[in-house]
Amino acid sequence: MIAELENIKHTAIAKISTVELLEDLEQIRVEFLGKKGKVTEILKKLGSLPPEERPIVGNKANEIRDFITEAVETKKKELLEKEFQRKLETEKVDISLPGRSLGKGHMHVINRVMNEIVDIFIQMGFQVASGPEVETEYYNFESLNTPSDHPARDTHDTFYIKPGIVLRTHTSPVQMRVMEKTEPPVAVVVPGRVYRVDNDASHSPMFNQMEGLLVDEDVTFADLKGTLMYFVKKFFGEETKVRFRPHYFPFTEPSAEMDISCTVCMGKGCRICKNTGWLEILGCGMVHPVVFSYAGYDNEKYQGYAFGFGIDRMAMLKYAIPSINLLFDNNIRFLEQF
Amino acid sequence: MKISYNWLKEYCDIPVSPKELAEKLTMLGLEIESIHEPGKNIDNVVVGKILEINPHPQADKLVVCKTDIGKGEPLQIICGAKNMKVGDKVPTALDGATLPGGIKITRRKMRGVESFGMMCSPAELGVADDAEGLMILDPSTPIGLDIREVLGLNDVIFEIEITPNRGDWASYIGLAREICAYYNLPLKIPSFQFFEDDEEAISISNVTIECPELCPRYAGRVIKGVKVAPSPEWLERKLVSAGQRPINNVVDITNFVLLECGHPLHAFDLNKLNEKRIVVRLARLGETIRTLYGEIRELKPDQMVIADGQIPQALAGIMGGADSEVDNNTIDVFLESAYFNPVSIRRTAKAHSLLTEAAQHFQRGADPNIVIWAINRATSLIQRIAGGRVLKGVIDVYPVKMESKIVKLRYERTKKRLGVDVEKQYQKSILTNLGFSIKRETNTEVEVQVPSWRHDVSLEEDLIEEIARFYGYDRIPHTLPKVRQTEVTFDTTFKKLHNIRSFLVNKGLTECFSWTFSNPEIVEELGFPESFLKMVEIQNPLSKNLRTMRTSIIPNILSIAQKNHLEDRLAIFEIGPVFLPNPTDILPDEPQRLCLLLMGYAQPRLWCYQDRKFFDFFDLKGLCEELLDEISVSYKIEKTDFPILHKGQSLKLVVKNEIAGYLGKLNPKISHKLEISENTFIAELYLDKLLASTPKRKIYKEVSEYPSTSRDLAILVDETVDYADIITSLKPIGERVLRKIDVFDVYKGSQVPKGKKSIALSFNFCSNEKTLTDEEINSLMETIINTLTKKFNAQIR
Repeated sequence: MIAELENIKHTAIAKISTVELLEDLEQIRVEFLGKKGKVTEILKKLGSLPPEERPIVGNKANEIRDFITEAVETKKKELLEKEFQRKLETEKVDISLPGRSLGKGHMHVINRVMNEIVDIFIQMGFQVASGPEVETEYYNFESLNTPSDHPARDTHDTFYIKPGIVLRTHTSPVQMRVMEKTEPPVAVVVPGRVYRVDNDASHSPMFNQMEGLLVDEDVTFADLKGTLMYFVKKFFGEETKVRFRPHYFPFTEPSAEMDISCTVCMGKGCRICKNTGWLEILGCGMVHPVVFSYAGYDNEKYQGYAFGFGIDRMAMLKYAIPSINLLFDNNIRFLEQF
Repeated sequence: MKISYNWLKEYCDIPVSPKELAEKLTMLGLEIESIHEPGKNIDNVVVGKILEINPHPQADKLVVCKTDIGKGEPLQIICGAKNMKVGDKVPTALDGATLPGGIKITRRKMRGVESFGMMCSPAELGVADDAEGLMILDPSTPIGLDIREVLGLNDVIFEIEITPNRGDWASYIGLAREICAYYNLPLKIPSFQFFEDDEEAISISNVTIECPELCPRYAGRVIKGVKVAPSPEWLERKLVSAGQRPINNVVDITNFVLLECGHPLHAFDLNKLNEKRIVVRLARLGETIRTLYGEIRELKPDQMVIADGQIPQALAGIMGGADSEVDNNTIDVFLESAYFNPVSIRRTAKAHSLLTEAAQHFQRGADPNIVIWAINRATSLIQRIAGGRVLKGVIDVYPVKMESKIVKLRYERTKKRLGVDVEKQYQKSILTNLGFSIKRETNTEVEVQVPSWRHDVSLEEDLIEEIARFYGYDRIPHTLPKVRQTEVTFDTTFKKLHNIRSFLVNKGLTECFSWTFSNPEIVEELGFPESFLKMVEIQNPLSKNLRTMRTSIIPNILSIAQKNHLEDRLAIFEIGPVFLPNPTDILPDEPQRLCLLLMGYAQPRLWCYQDRKFFDFFDLKGLCEELLDEISVSYKIEKTDFPILHKGQSLKLVVKNEIAGYLGKLNPKISHKLEISENTFIAELYLDKLLASTPKRKIYKEVSEYPSTSRDLAILVDETVDYADIITSLKPIGERVLRKIDVFDVYKGSQVPKGKKSIALSFNFCSNEKTLTDEEINSLMETIINTLTKKFNAQIR
């Protein structure tokens, strides 16, 4: 039996050393170590041996079983390693092929910018407000200190729905709607569509604005400057320069226009900024006392600022879009760029 | 408005360069739109005198001239113009000259004959548009003189935008006044003189004001025996530099005075005025007027006219009448200088679409106190230039004295509003420099009288603005405000809409942004139900195609699909309002809608999608279901016959018994008509309804620690049976352990009998309390099978 065991060992070693496939190795393991394997069979037969032989044969059988087990394991490791190597060598793909994708979606550049701007003001403590696009002349003009015979109305070519009802020409009417709802403090931004009778290379009859309004007891013109400078630097970059010029709006006093250093030439002077180095982007000022009186606010107690700018223009400047008409043309090749 | 730097210097000694001045004016609130130096690109152009004009031997259209340029031999110059004659003086560009637009002139041969320069047209010098012939100069112009000097081109022209509140800036004196105030300089108001006749003006003519509230002041002068002729060159040149066309000396003088001091004047031919008198009144019913250039205009009874004893002779403050116009035969002139109510002028000017220079000045508010200065200034110039006898006295009818406003400034208020401390004395000096006079003052405040030309100042804030402007906006510090919160919430949808947008973009859709206008004819042609044609109409639309506000985004998105029809795959959406007339409100409702469109292939053309499929109903439905789940809204779906959609592949969403949207395949009639892919799927979801309902609250459900078991079952039912009904019928069965039912195959075709369909379902069982035994699951499956057989006559396959 000892000889038989020796024989089994040799056969096993021979087989294991030549095997090349893991499946074959498993076969070999079963052949020798399985439930009906050759070594197992011998171990089963131990009981039929004379008691004095049992430990000797038993020890030998266990020794050989362990030996074969180890040989199988070693071989297995070796074959696995080979198999890994083979996989790594053969399973190659052209990694330069494009990935599987159903196509990425694209948010419209106006909304992308609108949301970005709103977030900047939300961080500063403003909340969003909204109002109707079909608006009364009262909210759009009159309550903003722009009565019907006011020359400033000439700058707002207005779409009329019926007498007294217009398509809002700016987001400013929401100022009054907000102030009617609550006493100060008020801190809102109002993004939205506005309309003017104008359609050419640089005008669209529908475009987007953002209004801002802050009213409290101690809001100053310096605060207005600070707020807008903070916004512009966040949006266009820290290096952006800002300039405030006196201007006129019926609903603010003092009024200002804000210019930023040209985003194209960085202030050196180019075609976009008409060689001035500056781009006019925004109108603002301290809320006019007449507007407060329409809102029922006490001009002695409260003061505030308001500002308004074109979101489309912000988007155009930020992404160097040459014409406003591209924004509303809905050409998929344009939309997919952002 | 064009402003000449040289002309401006006549009224104040500007201490800075044109460039610096432009910057300063900008920072004072005058927007300089452009700066133009007319002589900048002109060099080596002199006055030449044509000595000879001879035919060109080789060219019919050219002539060979000899031109004297005041030094050396006369130059031989080839010329193509026809308007000159021997003896004319013309601008002559010499060899090496430059002209505007970077043109260089050199001697060269033209058709075999040498030319030593070029004689110029006004257009070539950039001084006017006229390119027809040479610019013929005044015969007295010295030969050889630099043309820039002759034409006054060594100047800087500012194009200035004047805000509607500062009409007082719209003149040379007005502008100079601001500059002098800023630099603390004396304003140089021109002095003048003229001689009055003994004859009294009032003996010839008189003025009656019937509407003193619209015309508080009207002054007139009579000048007899003038000689109407073209203006002298200096005057013509000044008008041209301002972009005006010279007419004759009398009219030009009134226009010159307007440019100079900002006050519009009008000159009537006295002998054409019936009864030689002036009546300022409202037009009578049915009256008409023939204005300059001959147009006959019907007048309304709220429109102010300057009439003579019988009929209207001018639209007050806007335009003169043709019948009393000063022309070459005029001998006696009645000169008008008045103050008209801005609102009245504006209304009438708008009604006649006549926003003339004069109207623009009056509608912004003129200066009632300059009326007499202006008429005398013009009178002196008329006498000097056109001769004539000035009758004695100004007929000055001033029934309603215009009072200057008094405004109080509390010095502390400036700091409170601006956030910067401007010293008291400084504040005061800014105001006094600007012409505000101090009426009363204490240590803490000052009351000032507003100058008669400043119609924009009536409140303390207006004074604070003056201080801010002169102190300098750039010197005011910038601080971040403390933003206090309120309890009121003004908007709840902005972020929700943004989240929907982000969701759809992440699902691979691209967002569009359309004009919210619509064309009702298109809406009708597409076959929208009647209710969609109740629209908000625009009275003055850009075009007929954009004359209403949209009631649905579908027409917009279809037109986008058409525009992009060459794309073989389109997955787009738009979020925005529609406009629905509201019978109980003057304003329409503006609910937010989401419109989705899937068109063409569901996959892009890519190496890894070998077998591309077209989008189908379930792509759209799946997308909408995910979105609705994201919004967490409870909804039902119902069959619909919405005519825009295919009736066999469409549904409507219902939230709280209200329609909350439609989705489905585009009606093939429409895709055919629009020539877009038939595989087009559209949804319009009513976000107002979907977002208004309280979102389903998500509550934790216990996660079982026991394994789950799945059983599959294929059944055969009539093809009319809806999947949803099958599921509903199984709901009550083993609710606590039947975790999920998936449908993994639906089949109709040759493998099943006609009129039947096969549905394969997978049931997933799991208990929170134990591992379910086979017996328990078998018994549940039996109940399921019994239910299906009973309710749907299902056969087990």
